[in-house]
Amino acid sequence: MIMTTNELLTVTSTIGGLLIEYGAEIYRVEDSINRIAAAYGYNNSDEGRKVEVFAVPACLIITIDSLSGNPMTRQRRITRRETNLDRVDKLNNLSRFICTEKPDFKTIMGFINQIKNRRVYSFPVQVLSYAVVAATFALFFGGGLNEAIVAGVIGVIIRLISEGVAKVKPSVFFEGLICSMAAATMAVLVSKTGFTDGFDTVIIGSLMTLVPGITLTNCMRDFIAGDFLAGLYTLTEALLIAVGMATGAASAITLFTSF
Amino acid sequence: MDILNDIILPCLYTFIASIAFGVQFNIKFHHIIAAGIGGVISQLLFSVLELEGSNEMICYFAAACAISIYSEILARRLKVPVNMYLVISIIPLVPGGYMYKAMITLIGGDIQLFAEKCVHALSIAGSIAMGVFAVSSLVRLYRVLTKKAI
Repeated sequence: MIMTTNELLTVTSTIGGLLIEYGAEIYRVEDSINRIAAAYGYNNSDEGRKVEVFAVPACLIITIDSLSGNPMTRQRRITRRETNLDRVDKLNNLSRFICTEKPDFKTIMGFINQIKNRRVYSFPVQVLSYAVVAATFALFFGGGLNEAIVAGVIGVIIRLISEGVAKVKPSVFFEGLICSMAAATMAVLVSKTGFTDGFDTVIIGSLMTLVPGITLTNCMRDFIAGDFLAGLYTLTEALLIAVGMATGAASAITLFTSF
Repeated sequence: MDILNDIILPCLYTFIASIAFGVQFNIKFHHIIAAGIGGVISQLLFSVLELEGSNEMICYFAAACAISIYSEILARRLKVPVNMYLVISIIPLVPGGYMYKAMITLIGGDIQLFAEKCVHALSIAGSIAMGVFAVSSLVRLYRVLTKKAI
């Protein structure tokens, strides 16, 4: 199936943009785009049919030499990111399918829309997952049953707060700060009633829900793949989240243990 | 030596926490179970090495290596991104407790102790990263040598 340069740019930039948005590593994004372009005859080997991809977690630039000889560029700025590894997996399968079957433009866009609308876990299930993570990590770090219960409740509250805070589009630093400050405040106040034995395990457990797992893993894998710019970007993000969490928890503990 | 408290319970907690984390990342259920088993394998290795009295950094390094090998093999078999398994199984290794202790000493005002705890937490994070680095680099080398597609 033949595809115009414009359509190819639309397909590659949509797939690449979505991959970044859903939390794929940068080398996967660049590799998928290169493979898709190669499937339609742009394989970098002959002059005039070159494709260049540059991606960082914030931006994606694709340049393809059109049939008339003029290079065409599509740029995509990625501001919103939400982790959804199931969709990354499906997009990965789609690009593999494109490479072998070479379907036409309409078919591909249909598949992309299907992937965009794949079901996610419902909000109550996600809230429950936060509670379970917080409770089990409180146990993991040496807490008892009471600590686990308190951490579970705080986990639920953290999820609700982060849902509310997300509406004002905060910086990663601020989001970590608010959530951990709320968690530490509640943990310290509950420990004052004597229900829990100290607040350490409760705070550690509930803060583990905020650990930027996908950011840390992508950071390591980007560095290994040689995408140092992307690696630095994600490393900075992870460090900012960690500093935000530490600041929030530290200020809440200092404030509420002093009286 | 207390097998229940030192080995079985941490593994159980790791498994449950991994499953719950998989939900946060919107991974489909059967993949979550597989990733949780990866987390248990690394936790088991970590606990056993720690009981044997190995160096702490070696424990973390070995556990991270085990996770990476498991994720790479499984991802290749099932044709899914490696990330999907790696992300979940690595979270229980994150030195959250050490970072928290560092933060507490900072509040206490003891800068020297704070620096010590920070270096401790950072070196643990470093040895986990090195474990992942080592395995992933070998896998890339293997892929280049055998010229296999991802």
